[in-house]
Amino acid sequence: MKRISFAAFDLLKEAVARKWIVAVSVLITLMLLTLAFFLRLDVVDGALAASRFFGRDMGSDIRAVDIELKPLFQAAGGLLFYSCLILGAFITADFAPGLLSPGRIEHTLSLPVKRWELLTGMFSGVLILVLLGCMYAAGGFTVILGIKTGYWTSAPVVTGLLAVAAFCAVYGPMLAVAVFFRSSAVSGAAGGLIISLGIMASYRAEMAGMFQPGTGRWIFEILTAPFPRIVKLSTFAMNLDYAVSTDWLELVRLIAGHILFGSAALIVGILGFDKKDF
Amino acid sequence: MKAIEASGLYKTYSGFFRRKGGRALDGVDLKVDAGTAFGLIGLNGAGKTTFIKTVLDVVKPDKGSIRILGGRPEDIQTRMRTGYLPERLEMPGAWTPRSFLRSICRFRGVRDFEDQIRFRLSQVGLAPEAGHRIRTFSKGMKRRLGVAAALTGSPELIVLDEPTDGIDPIGRLEVRRILEQEKKRGATIFINSHLLTETERFCDRIGIIHNGRIKREGSMKELCGDVDRWRAAFEKGSDEELIRKQGFEKETDSDDWIFVTSSLEDLNRALDSARAGGALLSGLRPDLKQLDEILAEVAGGEE
Repeated sequence: MKRISFAAFDLLKEAVARKWIVAVSVLITLMLLTLAFFLRLDVVDGALAASRFFGRDMGSDIRAVDIELKPLFQAAGGLLFYSCLILGAFITADFAPGLLSPGRIEHTLSLPVKRWELLTGMFSGVLILVLLGCMYAAGGFTVILGIKTGYWTSAPVVTGLLAVAAFCAVYGPMLAVAVFFRSSAVSGAAGGLIISLGIMASYRAEMAGMFQPGTGRWIFEILTAPFPRIVKLSTFAMNLDYAVSTDWLELVRLIAGHILFGSAALIVGILGFDKKDF
Repeated sequence: MKAIEASGLYKTYSGFFRRKGGRALDGVDLKVDAGTAFGLIGLNGAGKTTFIKTVLDVVKPDKGSIRILGGRPEDIQTRMRTGYLPERLEMPGAWTPRSFLRSICRFRGVRDFEDQIRFRLSQVGLAPEAGHRIRTFSKGMKRRLGVAAALTGSPELIVLDEPTDGIDPIGRLEVRRILEQEKKRGATIFINSHLLTETERFCDRIGIIHNGRIKREGSMKELCGDVDRWRAAFEKGSDEELIRKQGFEKETDSDDWIFVTSSLEDLNRALDSARAGGALLSGLRPDLKQLDEILAEVAGGEE
C-alpha cells in the first residue's frame, strides 16, 4: 500500500507540472469567477424574487429556488460529468505512456516496487487528480450558488464523485492500452472509444430493435453488454436532487459496473505489464 | 558470497510490432563475487544491456536462473539493496535533482534522506544545481545525476550501464573516484561500458560477451595470458647494434625494442649486457594484449 501511494504521489507531482493541468485549472477557475461575478440571481426568503439568469428575465412566477435553479444545476452537472470524462481522457492520455517510456521505466522497475503496485499507483494517482479537479469545480460551483441563493445542496459534489466513478471505467482501458503500446495517441483513442461505446451501451435496449431478431441482435447485445452505461450514470448525476424517486439500487449497480469495468481493464494491464520486457 | 549468479540464461525477443527480433542471450553463465568490480564488454548487440536488464528483472529470461545478492531479482528486499543506472536514463524534466532523489529514497526506504541527498549531490558535483529543474541540465549533468540516483541508499550491488557516457574527462575521473569509494565501502560494482581503458583500469574482473554468450571471463592478467613479450625503451644514442645482439628487435613503427621471452632471467641477462655496453634503459613494460585486441579476437573468431 505504501509503495502504491509513492507511485501515485510521484504521478501527481509530475502531473501538476504539466501545462494542460495548469490550463484546465485556469479554465475551471475562470468559469467559477464568471459565475461568482456575473451571474445575477436575487433571492428573497428562499425563492427567486426575480427569476433571471445572467440578467435575462425568465418570465415566470416566483418559484422555489431549487425548482428555479434546476436547469442550471442540471446543465452544470452534465457539463461537469462529460468534461470530466472527455477532458480527463485527453489530459491524462500521456501520463502512463510517459512513465512507461524507454529510459524511464527501466529505472523505475529497478526500484523496490512491484509491477502491479506501480500500475495501481499510476491508476490511483490519475483518479485522485481527476477527483481533485472535479471537487474543485463542483465545490466552487456549490459555494458560489450557495452564497448567492442561500440554497445549499451536495448534488454537484455527488455528481463529481459519480463522474470520477465513470472515469474509472474510461481510464482503466487507457492504462491497459498504454502498457501494450506506450503511445499517448493510442491511449487517448482508447479513452474516446470507451466513452463512445459507453454511450452506445446506454441505449443498447433501444438500438437492439434496429437489428433483426436472431443472431444479429444477439451479437449486438453481447458486444455492448460489457461496456459501462455512461449516459445512464450521467442522467442520475444530473437529476440527483430532482428525481421523484431515485432508483438507488440501479444507481449502486451502475457505479459498481463502472468501477468493475475499470478494475478489470486495470487487471488486464497488470497481467500484460507483469510479463512485458522493457 | 556471490553478488550475481546467472546460469543458463536464454532470451529471444520476438519480432512483434516495431521490435527487432532475435536471440539476445544464448545460455549466459556468469558469477560475480560480492565486493568486486566486474566489467562486461562486447560489441553492439552482443547482449550486454539485455543481460543487465535480466539481472534487474526488467527483462524476463525465457530460460535459466538468476540470483542477485542471494535472492531473486524480483524480490523487494533484493531490490532495496540494488542500485541501477540505465544506458539511457530519462528523468522527469519538471523535477529538481532533489525531488528526483527524494522519490528514490522513499522507494528504497532511506531514513535520513535529506542528508543522503545532500551527500550524493555534492559527491557528483551537482549540489549547486540541487534546486534547478532537470530539463535545464546538460547530458553530462543528467548522467551524473543518474550516478547519484544509482548510489542513493548505499546499495550493495550497483549496476551501471555506460556510466560515463556523455561525461567530460574530468567528470569521468570523478565518477571513477566515486566508484572506487563505493568499492572500498564493500559494494559490488557491475559495469557495462564501451570505454575499454576505463573498464580495464577499474574492474577486478572482466567478461566478454558475444552473440549472447560469455566468451571469456577473468582478471586482466588471466585474459591477457602469460607475459612472453617485453617492451623496452633505450635512450637515444645507445648502441643499437649492441642492443640487437642481446636479442632485442626494434619495432618498425616506434622507437621501442621488443624482447620475446617468458623467462625473467633471460630478460635480465639481456638487459644487463646491453647496459654494460653503455645502453641506457629508459622504460620497460610487459607487452600485454590490449582489451580491444582481445575483444576483436573474440569477435573475429566467432565470425
